[in-house]
Amino acid sequence: MGKPSDLLQGTLDLLILKTVSLEPKHGWAIAKRIQQVSQDALQVTQGSLYPALHRLEEQGWLKAKTGTTETGREAKLYALTAAGRKQLARELETWDRLSGAIGLVVRDGEA
Amino acid sequence: MPRLLDRLVFRLRSLFRRRRVDASLAAEIALHLEESAREHVARGLSPAEARLAARREFGAVALVEDQCRDARRVTFVQNLYQDLRYGLRALVAQPLLLVAATGSIGAGAGATALVITLASELLFARPTVRDAEALVNVTLDGNSHVSYRDWRALDERGIFAGLAGYHIEGSVNLRQGDRTEAVVPLLATANFFDVLGVPMAMGRGFTAAEAAAEREPRVLVVSDRFWRRRMGADPNAVGRAVVVNGETFTILGVLPARLKAIPGFGLSPEVYLPLSRSVLPGLDHPHAAAAQLVGRLKPGTTPEQAAAALDVVVQERHAADPDRPQHVGLVSRVTDGIPGLGSLWRFFAVLVVVGGLVLGIACANVAGLLLARNTVRQKELAMRAALGASRGRLIQQLVVEALWLALAGTASGLAFMGLAMAAIASLPLPLPLPLELGVSLDWRLFALTVSLVVAATLASGVLPALAGSRSALSPALKQWERPYVHRRLTLRGLLVIGQVTLSVGLVVTALLFVRNLSLARTSSPGFDTTHTTVAQIGLVEARYTPETRVAFLQAAVDRVAALPGVERAAFAFGMPLTVRHGRTSGAQITIVAPGARPFQASWAENYVSPGWFDTLGIARRMGRDFMPSDTVGAPRVVVVNETFVSRHLAGRSPIGLHLMLPGPGHDDDYEIVGVVADSRHRAIGEAQMAAIYYAYLQRPSDGRVLHLVARVAGDPAAALRPMNAAIGGLDPTAAVDAQTVSQSLAFAFLPSQVGAALLGGLGLLGLTLATAGLFAMVSYSVTRRTKEIGVRLALGASSRAVVRLVVGDAAVLVATGLFAGLAIAGLVTQTLGALLVDGLSPHDPLAFVGTALLFGVVAVLATLPPVRRAIGVGPLVALRTE
Repeated sequence: MGKPSDLLQGTLDLLILKTVSLEPKHGWAIAKRIQQVSQDALQVTQGSLYPALHRLEEQGWLKAKTGTTETGREAKLYALTAAGRKQLARELETWDRLSGAIGLVVRDGEA
Repeated sequence: MPRLLDRLVFRLRSLFRRRRVDASLAAEIALHLEESAREHVARGLSPAEARLAARREFGAVALVEDQCRDARRVTFVQNLYQDLRYGLRALVAQPLLLVAATGSIGAGAGATALVITLASELLFARPTVRDAEALVNVTLDGNSHVSYRDWRALDERGIFAGLAGYHIEGSVNLRQGDRTEAVVPLLATANFFDVLGVPMAMGRGFTAAEAAAEREPRVLVVSDRFWRRRMGADPNAVGRAVVVNGETFTILGVLPARLKAIPGFGLSPEVYLPLSRSVLPGLDHPHAAAAQLVGRLKPGTTPEQAAAALDVVVQERHAADPDRPQHVGLVSRVTDGIPGLGSLWRFFAVLVVVGGLVLGIACANVAGLLLARNTVRQKELAMRAALGASRGRLIQQLVVEALWLALAGTASGLAFMGLAMAAIASLPLPLPLPLELGVSLDWRLFALTVSLVVAATLASGVLPALAGSRSALSPALKQWERPYVHRRLTLRGLLVIGQVTLSVGLVVTALLFVRNLSLARTSSPGFDTTHTTVAQIGLVEARYTPETRVAFLQAAVDRVAALPGVERAAFAFGMPLTVRHGRTSGAQITIVAPGARPFQASWAENYVSPGWFDTLGIARRMGRDFMPSDTVGAPRVVVVNETFVSRHLAGRSPIGLHLMLPGPGHDDDYEIVGVVADSRHRAIGEAQMAAIYYAYLQRPSDGRVLHLVARVAGDPAAALRPMNAAIGGLDPTAAVDAQTVSQSLAFAFLPSQVGAALLGGLGLLGLTLATAGLFAMVSYSVTRRTKEIGVRLALGASSRAVVRLVVGDAAVLVATGLFAGLAIAGLVTQTLGALLVDGLSPHDPLAFVGTALLFGVVAVLATLPPVRRAIGVGPLVALRTE
């Protein structure tokens, strides 16, 4: 698939928040999950993942804690906070509206 | 809001637990790389290759780490901290720059702040009273004072809530132990304290009831300074007795420290006495200038309304009696400043402008210094830029350094002000005014200085910061620079010339005054200054008639002449070269001789006793001295000096000549009986005046203050106390102050002392600034011309040639400034001739040449470091920068 595009950059926050909403994960696991669930369509540029994670943490939507990975290593896990959950809901709503609007414009004129 | 709190905790933790946070970040990324590598291994790569692949995929680890740190939003504080430490280290590594810049800014800001505070203290201070806004100054018919009767009448009209008056032009004799001293009191109407509401530190002020002039009150209020210096801060001061003019007065209260008294201008009288006949004889006289009026407006009244009401009253009384004032001159608020002296604002504005200019020059200098420095640091700045520092980051670094300078500058500014204030406070004024320049380091002065320094430093630091950061970014590393064209005449060059000119002017004048002072110690004003003493006697007027005054003086002379060591004594009205040097007169005088016409003459005048000339060592050229027989009723006689003879009596033999001279009410016939040598009267360097001496016994002047002189064998200082005692013993109420004649000349030299100190200080300040400016200019020039110097050296130029190249322009600038300054100084000093002793020309070569040498040496020293740097440039290094 082509390079993950600008679209992905703007929605990176949304993807991360959603991914973490199910259960706390560390950075690598988040990237892997996004890739898996999107069936390899979305690959997060690793250089932009960690700054984004730290930014979300600074904003108070993610909270970091130490935990263990599947392999038993100690790692920094990111979990969603209550405020983060609200932000996720807001971003989802925005996304729905945006994608709906784009769809209308793009499908305009078709039967 | 829990989220906000969390964020704050997050940021604080990032800030203070930096190492732990960094470690955690590193571990996080390390884990990521491990997992990535494992995946690659699972796909078949070798572990080493897998690791490399993981790294490649990730990107620049350091960059990501930095971005994470940025995302944590604490980099600003961390950067700031870093800049602070680094900036301090960099500044301390260049002590010359630090000293020059700190000194400039500190001196400039300190001087400006001090001038502003002094001026506002003297000109605009609000008096310490209850509700100062409601007080107004009142003048009638343009006269500053009114008579006592007028005050009482106006007060009774009730136009004001209260109308008080005060008088500070007088003098009373205060007895302290065995010494009587003359002090300037504030004489006040009885209602003074009631109307003004001056706060008291102890006791109370006098009230209208107890202090009415008619009752001859014997109460007073003393100032804080009086209480501390003369009573040792006695806690039981209230109720103690003070002897004033021979009478016992009781202290009612003590005023607080740092009081701003109603007269303003820093005047702070030590004693406040109620107006009465005994302290102000002639109080009742209808035309006496008894009091300056100050009134308290009734609530809701404006000064204009009060003036209108007052005018009505004044007009009525003028109509009834044309002798009375006709118009209300002015009713203006005390807090608006002295009425009619709008020029004070202009003066103040000029001071502020001058101070601002000085500060501006200091800023320009520091800016130049910092600019010069930043060009040297091109490489360092470029490196930082290449490593990813934004322009804002570089500017931040340079501004932080400028702020360190500001801190140092503040410290130096405060030190400068402290020194200046100590100097001012210790300045002994040989003037009888009770001036209290109470400028202490209060928080307002501090805040003013700090803000001036910070403003100055930012102004000087921002421009170089902007310039430095701009040039850093690409050209320096790429080794390409805009070719440096060495312009001969730049703005900075003009600034240096200006500074040198001004400083030279100031230093020359100061040196001239210093020379004046040193020469004055040895030059003669026409009378003896090494073996003579003079006692200034201030009599209580009410106690003497002209006859008893003469009798007192003769008794005093006899007593003093009888003291051991005293050869002879005499008395006179005035003492030459002091504040009270006698009179100067100008009139038409006529020689009593056939065919002689009246002519205009001006002369110095004194009233002396027999033996006065001999006591002071003024040589007699012709004729005789006054004799005890030259008294009232005897034929009128005068003694004149040589200049009078040569100027007005051309050709005639003076002895026996009769002159018609002005006397009280009409001209009188006087015979010239003697001619004495010329001497100085008013100023040490004055043009020689003609002089006429009258016999005191014949024309006892009505002056209250007289001078008794004595010639002493041996050290005159030893005779002072005996003289004080001898004269004081005759009349304990008289203020007696004995000095050696050389001490009494301090007044004549005050302008020179003040001039030397003030101008010298300013000159040094200017010299410092000029030096710093010169240093910066040459330093900058050397840096920019490094390549050129290297090329020249490589092509075989000698060190001397290099020095000439570098210093050439600077030398031209300094020389220009020097000549211009000397020329201007020559014009200025021409006008100071009257203040200089004989034998010191206003164009004294020592002062001028000395200044030129001083500046020459300083200029050389200032350019030495950059020149050494220039010579030390290895040609290869210089060429390599190409």
